[in-house]
Amino acid sequence: MAGRTYWLRKIVTLRDSADLATGFPSGAGRMGPACLLCLLALVLMALPEARADEPLFGFTYTTDLLPKGKSEVEQWSTTRFTKATGDFWLQENRTEFEYGVTDRFQLSLYTDYSSNYAFHNGPFGVTTPGEPFSYDTPDPNAHYRNTAYISTSVEGIYRLRSPYTHFLGVALYSEARAGRDFFETENRLILQKNFRDDRLVLGFNFTYAPELRNLGCKSSSLCLSETDMNLDSGVSYRFRRNWSAGLEFLNEREFGSYTFWKNEINDAYYFGPVVHYAGRRFFVTATFVEQLPWATYHSDTLPGAIVGGRDYDNDFERYRVRIKVGWTFGGAR
Amino acid sequence: MRAKFLLLPLEAMVVFAGPAFATVYLTIEQAQSVLFPNATFQPRTITLTEEQVKSIERASGVHVLNKQIRVWRVSTGGWFIADEVVGKHEFIPFAVGLDDQGAVKGVEILEYREAYGDQIRNPNWRQQFVGRQPGARLRLEKDIRNISGATLSCKHVTDGVTRLLATYEIVLKQSGR
Repeated sequence: MAGRTYWLRKIVTLRDSADLATGFPSGAGRMGPACLLCLLALVLMALPEARADEPLFGFTYTTDLLPKGKSEVEQWSTTRFTKATGDFWLQENRTEFEYGVTDRFQLSLYTDYSSNYAFHNGPFGVTTPGEPFSYDTPDPNAHYRNTAYISTSVEGIYRLRSPYTHFLGVALYSEARAGRDFFETENRLILQKNFRDDRLVLGFNFTYAPELRNLGCKSSSLCLSETDMNLDSGVSYRFRRNWSAGLEFLNEREFGSYTFWKNEINDAYYFGPVVHYAGRRFFVTATFVEQLPWATYHSDTLPGAIVGGRDYDNDFERYRVRIKVGWTFGGAR
Repeated sequence: MRAKFLLLPLEAMVVFAGPAFATVYLTIEQAQSVLFPNATFQPRTITLTEEQVKSIERASGVHVLNKQIRVWRVSTGGWFIADEVVGKHEFIPFAVGLDDQGAVKGVEILEYREAYGDQIRNPNWRQQFVGRQPGARLRLEKDIRNISGATLSCKHVTDGVTRLLATYEIVLKQSGR
């Protein structure tokens, strides 16, 4: 497929650039991309003071926060690929700085930047950019490629109840996100229940996220584009020291109003495994989810968006892979 | 499949991840000297039976992680127990000294391998365990004060001491002197 060929070419180009930059003998250039990623992982592992807080899941938040005065840098990579037709590849990246204001209140600042390739991927085979690039309207037959800064966000999480001292961990999350021609607030209720010496963790999130975009509105520059209302959940078990594995189940719904009882546009369900490793000051979390064939038409669903029971509107695709890497600063000596 | 390719770094880490960095505060011998100065120690390894495990879990309300417990009979009377509890990512090795009646004489943190939560070494916090009696069901924020920012470590050490007090009552007390 053209999209996959494009990304393979990208990887090969990056690999060759790395050879040039590091001066490795040309034999290193014959290493597969998988080997290069292994090497990267080993380098990360060798960092002496790189460390971790605890995102056990790729998509579902838990109530664990940084202690007061501690900070953390996270790098997210979310790859979203495969539509019903054509080629589609969306690479979303996030660089985030987190800080523990108190032991139960955490603030974060982050920026998102993405790359997209799309060709004949939308309903009826029309080239349709991914949602971060929805401000673009390419020719229906164009090979669409773009890389751009997307948005900057401020996020706060306040923990009401700790799962270690109460029956149920409860936290409230609120985020303000602004980018080119859009503004979004994302609000989450986060629940966490622990079992088996806190090694078995259940997480549940309800998300309410109205998104305003420049759609040629009459009264103001931005007006409601959609409201995301998601139900994310996960279960994770620490099966050996430093290692946890589990499953995530996501239900994403979009509405053309501020309410969940009218103008529903899309609903999609994702399911897949998650693996988490945490060292003293470093962590990595990886999730792979696939959309389940459970999507149905609603009052405002775009015609042609659902194929084979899966929703392929511009914010949905068949597969998602998310990798989070983090380093924590401050703490025990 | 590209998905497999993306997960390869994790597989690499499974193979190559070495032991995590640990801060050793006290060796077993040093902890013994702190808790029982001028005493000698006779080691015993006790393997709990299924029935004993169930009894301990019932009495303490705490899951038994390891059926083997490392205990030392103290020449001046009492017991020294080296054990570990679950931390955030690693185990937290700790030691408990019990007097001849099974009451807590002291708690020592032997190693700490986590980035946060090492405030459990604070002597004032550990002092709360001294004098706790066999069979006591200690609960964080009720019997033992919590340390904000170290909640998980506080909870698990509290649970660990509770479990060892039940272990004394059910196993050590009967095992003779």
